[in-house]
Amino acid sequence: MSKTKAIILDPLSDNNPITIQVLGICSALAVTVKMETAIVMCVALTVVLTLSNTVISLLRTVIPFQIRMIVEMSVIASLVVLTDQVLKAYLYDISTQLSVFVGLIITNCIVMGRAEAFALQNPPYLSFLDGLGNALGYSAILIIVASIREVLGSGTWYGMAVLPEAYMGNGLATLAPGAFIIVGLIIWVQRTVIKKFEDS
Amino acid sequence: MPKDDRNVILFAAIVCVVCSLVLSATAAALKTRQDDNAELDRRMNVLQAFGIEVKDEKGRKLLSKEEVDEYFTVNISEVVLKADSGEVMPNVTSEGLTRTEIKEKSKLPLYLWSENDEIVKYAFPISGRGLWSTVHGYLALDQDLATVVGVTFYKHGETPGLGAECSEPWFMNQFGGKKLWADGELLPFEVVKNGVPSKYPDGCDYCVDGITAATITSNGIMKFIRSDMKAYDQYFATIRGS
Repeated sequence: MSKTKAIILDPLSDNNPITIQVLGICSALAVTVKMETAIVMCVALTVVLTLSNTVISLLRTVIPFQIRMIVEMSVIASLVVLTDQVLKAYLYDISTQLSVFVGLIITNCIVMGRAEAFALQNPPYLSFLDGLGNALGYSAILIIVASIREVLGSGTWYGMAVLPEAYMGNGLATLAPGAFIIVGLIIWVQRTVIKKFEDS
Repeated sequence: MPKDDRNVILFAAIVCVVCSLVLSATAAALKTRQDDNAELDRRMNVLQAFGIEVKDEKGRKLLSKEEVDEYFTVNISEVVLKADSGEVMPNVTSEGLTRTEIKEKSKLPLYLWSENDEIVKYAFPISGRGLWSTVHGYLALDQDLATVVGVTFYKHGETPGLGAECSEPWFMNQFGGKKLWADGELLPFEVVKNGVPSKYPDGCDYCVDGITAATITSNGIMKFIRSDMKAYDQYFATIRGS
């Protein structure tokens, strides 16, 4: 497998930010009650992560080492506020549903983690791909969790009814504890499949 | 100062300036659109309090901006009351109120819903402290100035999943039909912790269920609905009397 291909594909499974690195759990629990919010969150994170990786990679030779984290933070925070403003202007209803969670992308460890671990050492094009790959890995898990939660919780998928109307909806699936259990199960299944185990 | 340090400070300054320029440019460019969205959302909440269906059960909008504006020109008119005397202030509209006047509630906007030249419903803004933020909403009363037509809470910064449940349909839908006034006096509106039946097994027509794990938000809502209703009641009393 070529290097660029690996950069994109690795985070989808073998090095998934949520299930393997266990980062970004907060938003994975919070915005996955239904597909619509989960997808907007995925798009928002993809935009922020690819742009922040690219920008930080472009600056990597000039950022003074002592203040690199603060600079990374400023770039990320600016991009997040930018995304939030655009959502408020063009997708007002969804932005109210996402409430604080778009703003909380700032504290999403995936964004800062990729800047520190990848963008600082690699050229812009590869950093862009790395950002995209990780965003897709994050999105894949969010979409799986949101699908399970929306179908179990409300009997719908992306707002369309998939279960008969008699289905009452499982309250646990719509609450954070339900998301915790589902994310836990996904982590367990995936690690069993790819045979990734923590050393004791 | 060593050259390295100077570079660090210079770099930090450049980053700050560039970031703030980008952000202020975006904010300025998008402001009109955002304000329009916020105003439309506010108007839809007034309509919702008045008992108009503005969203379906999945939260999709049922009305276009034009339809909303039409309600505001055809059915809804507006007066502003003086808080200390409860009198209508001539030639004042809610758009002319300053932030302080709204915040301190020294002047009170009131929306009137007319059908065939008769006022049939009244709505007014309600707001007060929750746990983290000020909760904003609207409350509409029927012609008898006692029965609640509807309540909405739309702007707040409460904890998602806990206090933020106040703007969920299950909470807001409880208010329709509740009584805030009977036999010449205001009723002690109550948001009941653990649910109305736990305290009033025989039912209670001025009570709604509280929000589990959000007692401070629930109590905040109870307090500001009581005090806002009291503030407007000076004016309502004159209408009831006439």
